Amino acid sequence: MERFLAQNWTVIQPALFLVFTGLIVLLVDLWLKEEEREWLAYFSLVGFGGAGVIVVRQWLAVRGLETPITGFGGMMVLDTLGLLFQMLFFLVGFLAVLLAPGYLTRRRLQRGEFYALLLFSTAGMSLLAGAQDLIMLFLGIEVLSIPLYILAGFARPRLDSEEASLKYFLLGAFATGFLLYGTALLYGATGTTAFEALRASEAAAAPRENVMFMAGIALLLVGLGFKISMAPFHQWTPDVYEGAPTPVTAFMVAATKAGGMVALIRLLYWGLGPADDVWRPLLGVLAAVTMTWGNVGALLQRNVKRMLAYSSIAHAGYLLIGVLSGGVGFVAVLVYLLIYALTNLGAFGVILLLEDGEREALDIESYRGLARFHPGAALLMSVFLLSLAGFPPTAGFFGKFLLFTAGISAGLTWLVVVAVLNSVLSVFYYARVIVKMYMQEPVETPAFSRSWLVAGALAVAAVGVVLLGLYPTVVVRLITA
Amino acid sequence: METLLWALLLVPLAGAVVNVLLGRRLPRQVAGWLASGAVALAFLIGVMATLRLLALPAEERAYVTPTLYTWALAGRFEVPVSLLFDQLAAVMVLVVTGVGFLIHVYSVGYMAHEPADYDFRRYFVYLNLFVFSMLLLVLGSNFVLLYAGWELVGLCSYLLISFWYTEPQNAAAGRKAFVVNRVGDFAFALGIFLIWSAFGSVVYADVFEAVGGVAPATLTAITLLLFVGCTGKSAQLPLYVWLPDAMAGPTPVSALIHAATMVTAGVYLIARASALFAAATSTSAIVAWVGVLTALFAATIAIVQVDIKRVLAYSTISQLGYMFLGVGVGAYTAAIFHLVTHAFFKALLFLGAGSVMHAVEHGAHHAGEHVDPQDMRQMGGLWERARWTGITFLVGAAALAGLPLTSGFFSKDEILAGAFLEGHVLLYGVGLLTAFLTATYSFRQFFLVFAGEPRSEAARHAAESPRVMLVPLAVLAVLALGAGLVLGWPPEHGIIHTWLEPAFAVAREGTKAEGGAGLSPMTLLLISSVVALAGAGLAYGAYVRKAVDPAALSVRFRPLYVLLWNRYYVDELYALLFVRPFFGLARFLADVVDKLVIDGAVNGVATVTAGAHALARRLQAGYVRVYALSMVLGALLVLGYLVYWGR
Amino acid sequence: MSAQFVIFGLLAVTSVATALAMIFSRNAVHGVLFMVGNFAAVALLYVLLGSPFLAAVQILVYAGAIMVLFLFVVMLMGPEPAPLWEHIPGQRPLALLFGLLLAAGLIAAVNVEELTGVPGIMSQEVLERLGQPTALAQTLFERYLLPFEVTSLLLLIGMIGAVVLAKREKHELQAERAPREGGAE
Repeated sequence: MERFLAQNWTVIQPALFLVFTGLIVLLVDLWLKEEEREWLAYFSLVGFGGAGVIVVRQWLAVRGLETPITGFGGMMVLDTLGLLFQMLFFLVGFLAVLLAPGYLTRRRLQRGEFYALLLFSTAGMSLLAGAQDLIMLFLGIEVLSIPLYILAGFARPRLDSEEASLKYFLLGAFATGFLLYGTALLYGATGTTAFEALRASEAAAAPRENVMFMAGIALLLVGLGFKISMAPFHQWTPDVYEGAPTPVTAFMVAATKAGGMVALIRLLYWGLGPADDVWRPLLGVLAAVTMTWGNVGALLQRNVKRMLAYSSIAHAGYLLIGVLSGGVGFVAVLVYLLIYALTNLGAFGVILLLEDGEREALDIESYRGLARFHPGAALLMSVFLLSLAGFPPTAGFFGKFLLFTAGISAGLTWLVVVAVLNSVLSVFYYARVIVKMYMQEPVETPAFSRSWLVAGALAVAAVGVVLLGLYPTVVVRLITA
Repeated sequence: METLLWALLLVPLAGAVVNVLLGRRLPRQVAGWLASGAVALAFLIGVMATLRLLALPAEERAYVTPTLYTWALAGRFEVPVSLLFDQLAAVMVLVVTGVGFLIHVYSVGYMAHEPADYDFRRYFVYLNLFVFSMLLLVLGSNFVLLYAGWELVGLCSYLLISFWYTEPQNAAAGRKAFVVNRVGDFAFALGIFLIWSAFGSVVYADVFEAVGGVAPATLTAITLLLFVGCTGKSAQLPLYVWLPDAMAGPTPVSALIHAATMVTAGVYLIARASALFAAATSTSAIVAWVGVLTALFAATIAIVQVDIKRVLAYSTISQLGYMFLGVGVGAYTAAIFHLVTHAFFKALLFLGAGSVMHAVEHGAHHAGEHVDPQDMRQMGGLWERARWTGITFLVGAAALAGLPLTSGFFSKDEILAGAFLEGHVLLYGVGLLTAFLTATYSFRQFFLVFAGEPRSEAARHAAESPRVMLVPLAVLAVLALGAGLVLGWPPEHGIIHTWLEPAFAVAREGTKAEGGAGLSPMTLLLISSVVALAGAGLAYGAYVRKAVDPAALSVRFRPLYVLLWNRYYVDELYALLFVRPFFGLARFLADVVDKLVIDGAVNGVATVTAGAHALARRLQAGYVRVYALSMVLGALLVLGYLVYWGR
Repeated sequence: MSAQFVIFGLLAVTSVATALAMIFSRNAVHGVLFMVGNFAAVALLYVLLGSPFLAAVQILVYAGAIMVLFLFVVMLMGPEPAPLWEHIPGQRPLALLFGLLLAAGLIAAVNVEELTGVPGIMSQEVLERLGQPTALAQTLFERYLLPFEVTSLLLLIGMIGAVVLAKREKHELQAERAPREGGAE
């Protein structure tokens, strides 16, 4: 028992907090009637808020330290990078919970499991943020993913939701296979799964001598590539994002990408740092392919959720620039992810507002003339779309600027050129929705459901997008401090 | 001064905000006057700021506001949010707010017939927003703020081009403008990134100071990228294609955005970065040649157009070409001078064209006839029916043609003289030829519209426009007529020269001494006068005296005429080269590669079929397997690269 | 012939017999029960080999937890005897092939030193250590404590998933019943 307690439990404190909140939600759920279950949402908000407070306190404590705190025999680390990522996760979780209750009540899906799974998934990300071992990396990804497989199918009587769930599950399991096999190969090549030992291993020093090591890197990249929807492992993304319940899609778009990115950063820099000449060129090419594929694919989409899914693929490509840049690049990735998360949550929030019990504003045509009926919603949507397109002075512009300058200072000029060209292209499909909203006559009165919670989330997102665009320095200073 | 500048920038924005918030409760006329008032106030503030600048010694006339806050701070990257007010900015501010105010006033009359209050308000909100964005572009103290303004004016232009969006072609025109501009913006953004990586700063002062320490190749790359951005925004070859279509917007918008202000942003950018461009001689040569060729190219097209606004659109492209010729040969002051006079006379011409259309529409309404109010073939004889419009339009046409003593005469001649005196005789020759064509087409237009007998019932019943539209015309006519003489006489030593020269001192340092090729500036002035008069005379002979029959000419030179009539088939060429292959690729990636079937068909399946059975069938029908297969293929590629080729 | 050998003989025969019986029984429930017997026999074999902990785990995990799940599934599917038909073409030869491969692998692993001349990592000491609960506990609750706990979370999530995807809410059941009662289908 002393040994059990001797472990450094603080390193997983936020994750623990989330898991216990989730368990309480599950238990309390049993005593509640359907119409009372909305309280579980508020309780989950407390969970995310509490976890946020823990992380901020840890961050304040860790900030000045020279060597980061580790725990569980070096399997987990408590450093600023991981903590900042966790803040991002909890913020996204918080906002996603705000989006959910209205939707769930409307579809009579108000169940505690929803919130519990959201909490568990976020706990997985939280573990991922500090992972220092291939095993923890793997488990973190699984804890992140499996709740999402279930959540994707949560709108169960709806066939496309079930289909999304099954597709996501089957392909996700397939990707897990790659991940696991890669882990095994790396273990075989080096005899360890700890990042520190990996970094110091002979194989990492001369990776090209060791086929098993190279194959391990390849398979891990495939597995992680699936999670961040990197081309050519992205095909699941449009189908799943389209089919999943909208609040879940919002959460997935914003959070999974961040989770995948932190895993990638941890693996590549903490675990495979010395072998960077192996993965760097490969990832560069894949980044270029990803952003191009995503943008070109989005061009002709008529379903807005599907379009945003393709756009999220493109954004994964941009983010990889930051990952490849290292150093300042991480800051850029973090800020970009924050902006990207706020923007997407906002956009999906607007989509949520535009549906009632039956209708969902999925087709681009249902946005026709929205500005006439709901000028506020149309304005917000425009702001979010312009931010996604990287239009000044929205936050998206700043985020791209940060990413691209990081890329240039890391000598990735060619990739930045591709990225800028791509963001030019992307304006086309984002602008199409704005055109529909402002410049076409409505066919029918759009559906609309008021919700104070969604409105609150939208307000946070909108204020964030505008403020981060006009005055991003605060955030950047906080991060680099 | 600091407060003054921020107020200058924010007043139009406040106008837009107030109109958005309170517009519903205000009568529509009040909303219009509110917007105009905001711009008038901005103009007054601009004048005050300029006077303060005037009180300073000439070399200290550049004021940078203290940094409001620093935007972005990662690594070494910093963008201070501050404004720069110097001689160049002052000129631009006065043009933007001054001409902008007149156009706002004119719009109150022009848009009065807009049926919906909502649209009326929307129009003025966009217009105010545009003025704000343009001021941001002009006043920003660094390239990033300039870029922000640059993008915002593009957005406003896009919104205003598609203002009457119920017509599908208008929406398409707006989109075209937006997309083509993004191509230019792409290069511009890259240019800024390159500036940052070469200079470590994007602030004008820091960058221009360090020009000497940067490799010439880098400098050439930076300036070329910036210039590609200019060709988009300022409608030069090869990205000019959006501007003629942009005429779909309301006419005052064409006057303000697509003639007087926004399209000159490229010229402003090069003038602003004159220190960079002067050091990159090869880029400057390219700028000059692109400018002069665009001028010629657009002038030849303008000569056969029959749409009253399209003639003006091509003439704008052509005149912008002159300005680029000016900045290309180092005649920065002349280029900005032409920018100013062009803003006056082209705004005048557009507003005049709007007044003509207004008159013809009125006539068409009266005669119960359906005519295209922009088709000059349906006009004629309007001189009798819309006298004030006619007189002011004549002034505008004369200034555009460069008839002696009008404003266009001085500024255009100065650009040509600049080219000649710097030793670019060929550029001078092409420019002179273009000047001849310009005089021809501008008087062709005037005679087609105002001279002779009415060629339609609508023209016969045309009536003069209301006073709220005529007053701005009159003011602009006075400016178009007199600005040249007031600002630019004597040549090289006028008010505008003494005012602007210090701003370009750095750029002018290395240029050659004047009077290189043996002809004095006065002789050149004389040559220009003769050419302009000859062009105008040709038009008079062909369209009034009928000494030459244009119809017969068009038959005789049919291939050339068809080529010009179809605008060199450039739009078709672009569609063939870029648009179609691109959409083909998009369809291929999204539908074939990612989906294996058409998107819509698949989306339909979930709603049409129902039940778990169908679900199972779909899962087995292959998507999951295909996705998995493609994952395996991707994995094999990655694996193959790392394990086999990568070693 | 020691008593130990007699017991081993009995257990060996029982385990092979129950395995065969499981394969050939036509009733799924019977098959599962034979498998339970098989697991029990193998567990006793572990005791005989001096690894009481492994034996306990075998009983708890396999005979207990996993078999209960199997039974659960079988009961849900309907316990009526099914004909012995092949789901995958060529199932039997393939099964035989893989079975033989597995056997060969096991034999090779046990005799690794004789076959290659290199001693395998499973030396006598290691094996003894592995069989002891303390060694296992130390690995599990110290070095791999966190992964172990997280895995339990993963199992919980899986369970919730099963419940979420299978459970019908009251109103859903009503909705399903309604059209049938109305005779719409």
